[in-house]
Amino acid sequence: MKSSLRVILGFLKKEFAQTLRDPVMRLFLFGAPLLQLTIFGYAITTEFKNLKLAVLLQPDDSVMRELSGHFYNSGWFTRAEAEQGDPEKALYSGAADAVLIAPPGGLTKALGRGNAGLQLLIDASNATKARIVEAYASSIVQKYAASRFPAREPGPGLSFNVRILYNPSLETSYFMVPGVMTMIIALITVMLTGMSMAREKEMGTFETIISAPLKNSEIVLGKTIPFVVLGMADALLVIAAGLLIFKVPIVGNLFVIFAASFIFVCTAVSAGLLISTFARTQQQAMMGTFLFIFPANLMSGIMFPIENMPLLLRAVAYINPIKYYASLLRNNMLKGSYPVVVLPDLAVLTLMLLVIVFITIRRFRRTLN
Amino acid sequence: MKRNFVLHRALAIAKKEVMHIMRDPFTLGLAVVVPLIMVLFFGFAIDFDFRGIKVAVYDQDNSRLSRELVRSFSASEYFKTFAGASAGAPAKEIEEGKATISMVINSGFEREIFSSRNSQAQIIVDGTDNQKTGVVAAYLGGIQRAFSSKLSGSPASDPIKITARFIYNPELNTKWFIVPGLIVIVTGLLSILLTALTVAREWENGSMEMLLSTPVTPFEIVLGKILPYVGLGLTGIVFVYIVARLAFSVPFRGSYLALGAACFLFITTSLAQGLLISVITRQQQKAMQASMVVGLLPPLLLSGFIFPIESMPLFFRYLTMVLPPRWFTAIIRTLFLKGTPFEGLVIPFIALALMAVIFIAAASKRFKRDLEP
Repeated sequence: MKSSLRVILGFLKKEFAQTLRDPVMRLFLFGAPLLQLTIFGYAITTEFKNLKLAVLLQPDDSVMRELSGHFYNSGWFTRAEAEQGDPEKALYSGAADAVLIAPPGGLTKALGRGNAGLQLLIDASNATKARIVEAYASSIVQKYAASRFPAREPGPGLSFNVRILYNPSLETSYFMVPGVMTMIIALITVMLTGMSMAREKEMGTFETIISAPLKNSEIVLGKTIPFVVLGMADALLVIAAGLLIFKVPIVGNLFVIFAASFIFVCTAVSAGLLISTFARTQQQAMMGTFLFIFPANLMSGIMFPIENMPLLLRAVAYINPIKYYASLLRNNMLKGSYPVVVLPDLAVLTLMLLVIVFITIRRFRRTLN
Repeated sequence: MKRNFVLHRALAIAKKEVMHIMRDPFTLGLAVVVPLIMVLFFGFAIDFDFRGIKVAVYDQDNSRLSRELVRSFSASEYFKTFAGASAGAPAKEIEEGKATISMVINSGFEREIFSSRNSQAQIIVDGTDNQKTGVVAAYLGGIQRAFSSKLSGSPASDPIKITARFIYNPELNTKWFIVPGLIVIVTGLLSILLTALTVAREWENGSMEMLLSTPVTPFEIVLGKILPYVGLGLTGIVFVYIVARLAFSVPFRGSYLALGAACFLFITTSLAQGLLISVITRQQQKAMQASMVVGLLPPLLLSGFIFPIESMPLFFRYLTMVLPPRWFTAIIRTLFLKGTPFEGLVIPFIALALMAVIFIAAASKRFKRDLEP
């Protein structure tokens, strides 16, 4: 037992030395995640702002002018130009995202005759954006009409008193940072383990390890523990950055977050090792890593909703460990550690870890013997 | 010693590379089959139209109108209603993840409406997912407007009515916008990986050193290495294009010449980027790390694929300009959906061409430094 410990410590020392002595590797391991987290956290918003709106109106149309002022002062729209005769041209050339067109003869006159209709041309080449533009525009027009024609406002009506929980100001970084953290930790850990093993195989140093008088379990642990330690260091670094730089709240239990991170890092390391057992060259390991990490990141619910996927693809998303870690991080940070929410995710993640470790050890044994 | 660029030397290297590719199913698969599968797979998977959002309903009024309101939720394909089980704590359903929305209709809801006052329903929304919350808010607005106009009799009573016309994608099909974006992400990352890995391997096994000892110039090597992969990448794009048109019926309204030119520029830029990475790192492991750092998350998150560039803080809006996928996304979406002629796309084209030149020059220069110490 004592000698096993020494063997594993030996591995630990060797892997650390090999990985950390290289400044480029240090940069990839610690610099890149921090930089990426910071950039993505600051840059990304899910809100649409600075939408380019052109308004077509007659110079003497005072109501329309006032209404267009409400559009530009809403903070969502910026000014753009469009031609009176060919409003679609501005959309075509990309000069505007939407063109608001007054009724023929002007809005002022049309209102004098009764109800008036405005037309809004929206560039729908980005469907999400188009839908948002329409929602913004209807709410501005409705609000304007209600304030200008209070007498004509119909009597009974319904309004929703909406309260948004956990992230009331819809701060995008609260939502993005846990997601980006998940993707970065997964990417680095799987890649590091998979490529490092494949490299030893390709260079033949793995043969040396096999021929050394070591137990299989010692080799497996010796090749995984260093990467778990490195992965955890990265996870802690990224979590700390999320807290310090973006002030993402941790409503839940910090211990649960650590436990989840540990289980997830172990899972990712095993996945990397598993990929490397299938690969004879680094190129194949790279292919395997890419084929795992790219879909796993996209199917994790971080950027794209899982619940909208067709059933078969949803099944794929549900066997993705990244999905559970992302949901654990998000829930623990923003909602809190309610056992009903956290325990199922933790249980599934642990189960996945066990399954992957089991398969990896079986595959590994075949490689060794 | 001054050596001039000789095309046939570059072509000789290209020829050798072609033979290499033909023998290697790995590279062929990576360049042609993987993009096809990925675009198909994610094209089906990604959908921003939330359907069946779970609504826990606490109807304490249980009147004709309150039931009507609940029905206007359940009748819409966007919502799925169920009776909330924890009276007094409507947020509990959300805490436990059983619902995205909790709606409380207080007793007296109908009475208030009949006494011609404005009546309220309380809505609690789970804010952990911003994207979903944003969409939910838009859906709620629609329901509120429809219900209000139903109450007041006729929708025509709005003094000012706004009618939206969606140009280029009248049915707001999200696939039309996702699939062209996917093409960019997938081909970009794969192109970087292709050259980064193949060339890093040659550094590792020493064959690059050998090549350098011949009279071939670095620029010839760079061109010779990139050209065959450009061909491979363009072949991949043809397949992906067919998938976009046939599987997702995305229209194509632009010119094929412009599309071909843009694909050529983008693939060349990405390949040159991969080559530069491999020249700098010279090790497959590091080349892989660098390629993934550069090629995976920044294009996904910063190229306008999903998250709007125009909403970013000014500094980051400028920062996105150094990403080739940002420009290619702009071009390819315009060509597919709008069909704007070439003149409208001059800036993205110039940006891509500029980056291609910069990356190729940088890669050649890095070679040179080792060649002539």
